[in-house]
Amino acid sequence: MARFILSACVAAHIALSGVSVLTAQEGTAYDDNALRLEGHIGDVRIVRGAQGTVLGKIGVFRGVDVAKLVSPSEKATTEAKNFARDYGPGTWLTSLGIATLGAWIGVSRINDVNHGITTGLLLASTGLIVYGGGRLENAYNALSRSVWWYNRDLER
Amino acid sequence: MKSRIFQALVIGASVIGATAGAQTTGHAAPPVATSESGAAGLSVRRAPVSDSSRSYDAQALRFETHWGSADIIRGADGRAIGTVGWFRDFDVEKLVASSPQAVTEVRAFETNSFRGSLVGGLGALTLVVGALVTANSSNNAASPILIVAGGGAMVWGAQHLNAGYSRLSLAFWWYNRDLAR
Repeated sequence: MARFILSACVAAHIALSGVSVLTAQEGTAYDDNALRLEGHIGDVRIVRGAQGTVLGKIGVFRGVDVAKLVSPSEKATTEAKNFARDYGPGTWLTSLGIATLGAWIGVSRINDVNHGITTGLLLASTGLIVYGGGRLENAYNALSRSVWWYNRDLER
Repeated sequence: MKSRIFQALVIGASVIGATAGAQTTGHAAPPVATSESGAAGLSVRRAPVSDSSRSYDAQALRFETHWGSADIIRGADGRAIGTVGWFRDFDVEKLVASSPQAVTEVRAFETNSFRGSLVGGLGALTLVVGALVTANSSNNAASPILIVAGGGAMVWGAQHLNAGYSRLSLAFWWYNRDLAR
């Protein structure tokens, strides 16, 4: 009888130990691997895990291969491709718009300049900034969705 | 006696098997069960209603920005449940109340967002005034000052807005982390 109780205790211990190990593994997947985004002036950083390891920076004219980074998740990869499609044009058009705005300010200070030129520059710069900004916004929203899907598909 | 030992080991092994099965089928329950004990955790994970209603797919949060404001989106179907930014007062703190770390981050987001919106908005206004003064070809010495001051305030505001949205991202990271666990 004593042996039976002892073996039952051993079995129960094994069972409970198993539970705690599985729970720890479950927590580790998200804590160590889940991604998030951090915005900074001039760049957005892709950060991994609770410790905040920076995996890559997406700046004005540079970036990381987000599709490769989130490749284990199919939907995340699709969204990462959407991000890549909008990010480049959005950056260039917004930059061009800001440059045109600068040109408008400069030209406006010149006396006797044709009003058609200043109006054209103003409209062009506004249009470029709005359109480019919209593309950039679409890009970042796709990036946000990509990260969400990646984290969703992490082993839980 | 040996058969009894074997029987006890089989019972133990079957408990392990059942536990592992409960953890691998679908997403587990969120931190609704406040108890930290393994037994409480097991009972929650076995409840299919709890699993389906508060799984990551249904509950996990993210946000998408729209010209200075951000829509808070829940779940895989992309349902917008509120908007923050530009002086909007959606109660994000209440939304993530189940995760203490998320609540801390949301408070930081709210502080940064308010400062960024206020200073950035004033900066934009100052910049526009300066640009209009310049466009009218008046050689007013104040116009460059207005443009530079406005631009500076906009950068400062953008920096705080950026920091704010980073904290919001972190808040949702913690909130989603505490789901299905």
